Amino acid sequence: MQMSRMNSPSVGMEEDNGVGHALSDFLLQLDNYTPSIPDSVVAYYLNMSGFESQDPRLIRLIALASQKFLSDIANDALQHCKMRTSSQLVQSSKNQKGPKEKKYIMTMEDLVPALQEYGIIAKKPHYFV
Amino acid sequence: MSETTEKIESNCDARRRILNIAVSTVLLETGFESADKMSLETLTEMIQSFFTEVGNSARGYCELSGRVEPVLGDVMMALINMGISLQGLEQYAARPNRHVIQPPQQAPVPRTPAMLSAGSKAKPSPHIPFHLPPLPDPHAYIRTPTHKQPVTEYEAIREKAATQKRDIEKALTKFLSKTSETHNLFNTEDNQVYPLIACKPTFPAYLPCLLPTDQVFDFDELEYHFQVANRTEDMPADKKDQSDNEGENGGDNENANNSQSENPDTTGISSPDRNKSGG
Repeated sequence: MQMSRMNSPSVGMEEDNGVGHALSDFLLQLDNYTPSIPDSVVAYYLNMSGFESQDPRLIRLIALASQKFLSDIANDALQHCKMRTSSQLVQSSKNQKGPKEKKYIMTMEDLVPALQEYGIIAKKPHYFV
Repeated sequence: MSETTEKIESNCDARRRILNIAVSTVLLETGFESADKMSLETLTEMIQSFFTEVGNSARGYCELSGRVEPVLGDVMMALINMGISLQGLEQYAARPNRHVIQPPQQAPVPRTPAMLSAGSKAKPSPHIPFHLPPLPDPHAYIRTPTHKQPVTEYEAIREKAATQKRDIEKALTKFLSKTSETHNLFNTEDNQVYPLIACKPTFPAYLPCLLPTDQVFDFDELEYHFQVANRTEDMPADKKDQSDNEGENGGDNENANNSQSENPDTTGISSPDRNKSGG
């Protein structure tokens, strides 16, 4: 997604202007949509890096953006997980309980490739020193 | 210092936990049933870094254009710079299954109990700004004399000296009557009412006057005299109160021992005779 923007900056800026208008309108309606993350927590982390805003809608916008980002990654991880379980389902012929493994567990195996697509490389040790 | 760091860490922990909950909520909405602890921590860390980064970038953009308070445009630029698409934001906001997390309750500030406060704190003078901390306890900066000036009147001092001397004598006699041997005025066995300090005369009483010892040459001899004066081994129990017999026995035995020809046997035999004669 970000690659397309870098290739055409001027076009991106015009798009952003349009998006900016939409967002400024969106900002006014933002009071209806409360993001999952509470305002105080987001404000705390923003304050830690020097971003102080008296407008709560701005903070809600950032919270929403972060949430969307997170949900995108989660969706990608879910796709990975489904691919893996579906391949296992195909392999295992015995299938007594209908669709097996309705429960999806998020593990590092699914998360790392999902993050890699976004450019985030997560390497965590298996143990803590 | 450690206390403040602990406080900061606990604040971070509380918010970190909220972030954990938020991440879990998003995962639930996506369709996951449960998550690995490590992946949850990774995502929480990612979200925290996201906020930090957006905050930094937005502030940078805002200050770049000569402002102090960030505006929507700054936030947008920051998000775009990070590569976050703003396209589907509205649709995402209006998704059907949304959970909202309660903001964290403000924990009550633990009141440090007012310890060791003596007296009431003085009101600050008007020239002191109100936002400064309150004044300390008055004993911290007000000096009062700790003792009265001593009395220098001659009469009072004499009187004090006299009462002190009297009190000392009284106390000492009381102490001695309670701890050392007592002498009874009355003929009862146990006397608590009028105890007199028993005086132990040496026999013969005129001997120290005839032989004054201003210098002690032989400490053994001195101790011997002392022991002899205080001996109670061969005295019968009922005659212990009578000081005459006590003195006689002590003196007779002393005389007997002083003559070198006597042996301990004769002294042992002679003492009952002396007792009979004395009794």
